[in-house]
Amino acid sequence: MGKENANKEEVKKAKKEARALKKEEKIHKQYEKLQEASKFKKWRNARPFWGATLTVLAGLMILYIPLHLYAIAFIPGSLVFVGFLFGGLTLIIGILSFFFPQFSTIFGIFTLFLSVLSVMGALGGFLIGTLVGIVAGSLCIAWQEETVVLKKDGTEWNKEVVVNHTNQNNPTLQA
Amino acid sequence: MSKMDGAKVGKTWKKKFLVAFMSGFLALGSLIAVFGFTGTVFALPLGGIGDFYVEFDELEGTNFQLLPQIGETGNSDAEPMVRNKMDTAKIKNLHIYKDIKLPTGNWIRIHIKASGDTTITGLIQDARFIDANLSFDELAIKEKNTEAYNENWTQSASTIRITDAKIVTDYLFQTTVSLSGAKISIESIEEPEMMGQ
Repeated sequence: MGKENANKEEVKKAKKEARALKKEEKIHKQYEKLQEASKFKKWRNARPFWGATLTVLAGLMILYIPLHLYAIAFIPGSLVFVGFLFGGLTLIIGILSFFFPQFSTIFGIFTLFLSVLSVMGALGGFLIGTLVGIVAGSLCIAWQEETVVLKKDGTEWNKEVVVNHTNQNNPTLQA
Repeated sequence: MSKMDGAKVGKTWKKKFLVAFMSGFLALGSLIAVFGFTGTVFALPLGGIGDFYVEFDELEGTNFQLLPQIGETGNSDAEPMVRNKMDTAKIKNLHIYKDIKLPTGNWIRIHIKASGDTTITGLIQDARFIDANLSFDELAIKEKNTEAYNENWTQSASTIRITDAKIVTDYLFQTTVSLSGAKISIESIEEPEMMGQ
């Protein structure tokens, strides 16, 4: 019984390692692609570009309805003002995502939250804004900056991946 | 170990994306489900699509106000119309329909029908043509010597009762609206209705 358990754990461990290796290979492939890429592609790669762009688009779509109803936006009890707030915040978050990629996860969560809530007060840009916002938020959450550790000559690569600038604190990388 | 060099690569992880995407849809679904249970939609605007028709058997409204208005219709940028404002409105047998021309040249009519009571707060409606029986409580008509066309002449009443109405509408806004027994359907028609033109 104990032997079986040990075997199972070994298989689990092997699977985990295989997954990690696959992930590292993907990152390395991306790095190789980037070596020959243009300046814009490199800039795009350093931030959640599509997530941020779609967030800006979703913000504009959500703002469309309140902008058309601005005449009544400040009538007491009107929810149009809330629509302005949701759309405006989504737009600002989208712009900030371009400049502060390290906060992409938080920006993504806020985008998701705001675009879903924008159904109230702005009808979520006829729901299209909400749908684009959900995709944009998910892209921002899913984006990560990974560090590929290379030997100085650049030919071989070490299979250690560090997420989001943590290499300063990682003793294995400070050799 | 030789000296290491770190290179940064941005990557979007599929698994994380799917989890976030599903959570977003779950949140949206729950919000719509809550609206579905109460039948309430917040801040519903309907405009910029040209004429549409509003019919109902009976409407009882409070704090009614009628103002002159110049607004956009499906055929013109500035058309004279009247703006009706009410704080609350209770409507029996509401029927809203809109005729739309398809790219194929055929016409279709989209119906929104509420068989039960419809309760609205914060109603604003721009109408181009009204055919109805009207009765008011505490009706006041006021004229003001001003250049502003929408303040020059106003009509207000504490309560209004409209029966057997057919209104050609160009803009509709409701802060909250609750439709009980709402049904949306589409039918194909020979030609569009041209009332009040």
